[in-house]
Amino acid sequence: MRPVSTRSTGVVLLWLLLAGFLVLGALPNQTASIRLGGLSVLWWYGGLLAPALGTLVAIRWLADSPPRDE
Amino acid sequence: MTSVSRVLAGWLTPVALLAVPAALCGRAADGLWLGLTWALVPLIVLGLQAGPRPGPAGGGRDERGSLFPVVTLLLTVGVLLWANIALAGDVAVWLRAPRWQGIVVTAVAGWLLTAWRPLRRTAPLLLSVALVAAVAPLLQVAWAVGLGPIAAWDRVATQAAFRFPPASPWVTTGRSLATAHGRAPLVFDEVHRLTAPAGGTLRARTLDGTRPAEIEWTLTPGQSVTLRAGDELVPGGTLRLRFEADKRVPGAPASGMAWAEAPPRRWLDRVGLLVTLLVGAAALLRAGLTLRLPRHGAGFVAGGLLVAFAWAQAWAVYAVLQSPDLFLGGVALERLLGLPGAALFAEPWRRTLQAFLLVAGLAAFLASSVALRARLGALDPTGGGEIGSDPGLWAGLFGGAALASLWPVDPWALTLLALGGAGCALGPAALYPPPPGRAALATTAGAVGLLVFATFAAAQLRGTGGALLGTAIGYPALVGAPAGALVLWLGRGRAG
Repeated sequence: MRPVSTRSTGVVLLWLLLAGFLVLGALPNQTASIRLGGLSVLWWYGGLLAPALGTLVAIRWLADSPPRDE
Repeated sequence: MTSVSRVLAGWLTPVALLAVPAALCGRAADGLWLGLTWALVPLIVLGLQAGPRPGPAGGGRDERGSLFPVVTLLLTVGVLLWANIALAGDVAVWLRAPRWQGIVVTAVAGWLLTAWRPLRRTAPLLLSVALVAAVAPLLQVAWAVGLGPIAAWDRVATQAAFRFPPASPWVTTGRSLATAHGRAPLVFDEVHRLTAPAGGTLRARTLDGTRPAEIEWTLTPGQSVTLRAGDELVPGGTLRLRFEADKRVPGAPASGMAWAEAPPRRWLDRVGLLVTLLVGAAALLRAGLTLRLPRHGAGFVAGGLLVAFAWAQAWAVYAVLQSPDLFLGGVALERLLGLPGAALFAEPWRRTLQAFLLVAGLAAFLASSVALRARLGALDPTGGGEIGSDPGLWAGLFGGAALASLWPVDPWALTLLALGGAGCALGPAALYPPPPGRAALATTAGAVGLLVFATFAAAQLRGTGGALLGTAIGYPALVGAPAGALVLWLGRGRAG
């Protein structure tokens, strides 16, 4: 069994960010259309929050660790 | 830095960069999904550990000797070049220049850049030029409108209707209907007087009582015809027409609220798009390669994708706010390379900012050409990267793409076709690699995946629908990629 690496954590988090958009869009009563601060909730999430979090995830978890001394 | 810029440039082709704002303009929720997947999927693919760890150079080859991935990627790169050169032709037509001029300029520049060895490491520079040249007009438009992106979005989402601005070229001088070649029908929502400045023949479907009828008018220069609500222009016309100012744009959403709150497509369609982009990214960015990204490299890739998505969103919002006439006949990619708001800037600023946008598009195309050439060269089974440095081969590739681009095509559909095909052929093995020494299994799985993909893609031509089958036909990678993965899994099981 392969060990869970920091990359795996990052990939799972990125999948969760994508899934969050689908879940938000599927909420009843057009919850995603609610306006907050001039922008719909769906746009806050899909246009701003999820891409920004994706960038942070990539920086924190997707980078290769520096090679060890061999 | 070079590998980072190659990943960004290879993924952010001009067609991809414009497809996101076009989708946002057309249907906000679907555009957001496209933009989000486009921004996150490369990170997922690069984050998946597959294959052996490379040497200290930072990149390496996982498989040698197999021609299948080389040929597949060569065809993929050819189709991607075709899509982008065809877009250049569309842009030329939209800017009232001959189609061949846009095609020749981009194809020759792309070929020179890939053929001339000293220019092959210019992807970071070209990407920087594209970034500056794309952001400068955006900032200028935002400053001229006097609204930030969020306030502009709010303004769009509260509009009662999308109407022709008085300064729109469709109102002042008129434009040829041939340039409104989107997929949406030109159906009128209210009484609308159309004028043919140069005269010509106009055909429309009207309702004669309850019976539909097709009427043809032969108009003299300057003559007008009035259409009623529900009437529809017959597609395929090339007549130059002037529309009335402050009338609803045919094909536009009913209101800003309808645009902002339109429900997304079926979840299966969204999954189909996700799978296509995922396997396409796996094929394009890492099939046969092991790419190591240091922390700053991962940050640059993610940051570049974030900036591109942010630009696409802001550009889409300002375009809809200032040029709602882009809805006419459906939002086409080339219209988003035109400066929005005909009355926003006086000459020579307008021409200068338009030139900035064209420079951005050309620089992005050249950067992607360099990146795709390097990508293909890195997969060369002979080990010397000959495919990436054969000027004859690349002349043929650019020449063929340029010739094919003389006929208008949908560049985004071509891009999805290229990514889906390559993804089904190479994606499963890139994401789920066979054991060492079993390259033939990857080839078999790829061939099966590609065959299934081609079968369903061919069914697109028949236009058959249905719920599940319709999605599979619309996004053939949804079936082709699992078919290839199944073959890989069965082959691994037999080996074990």
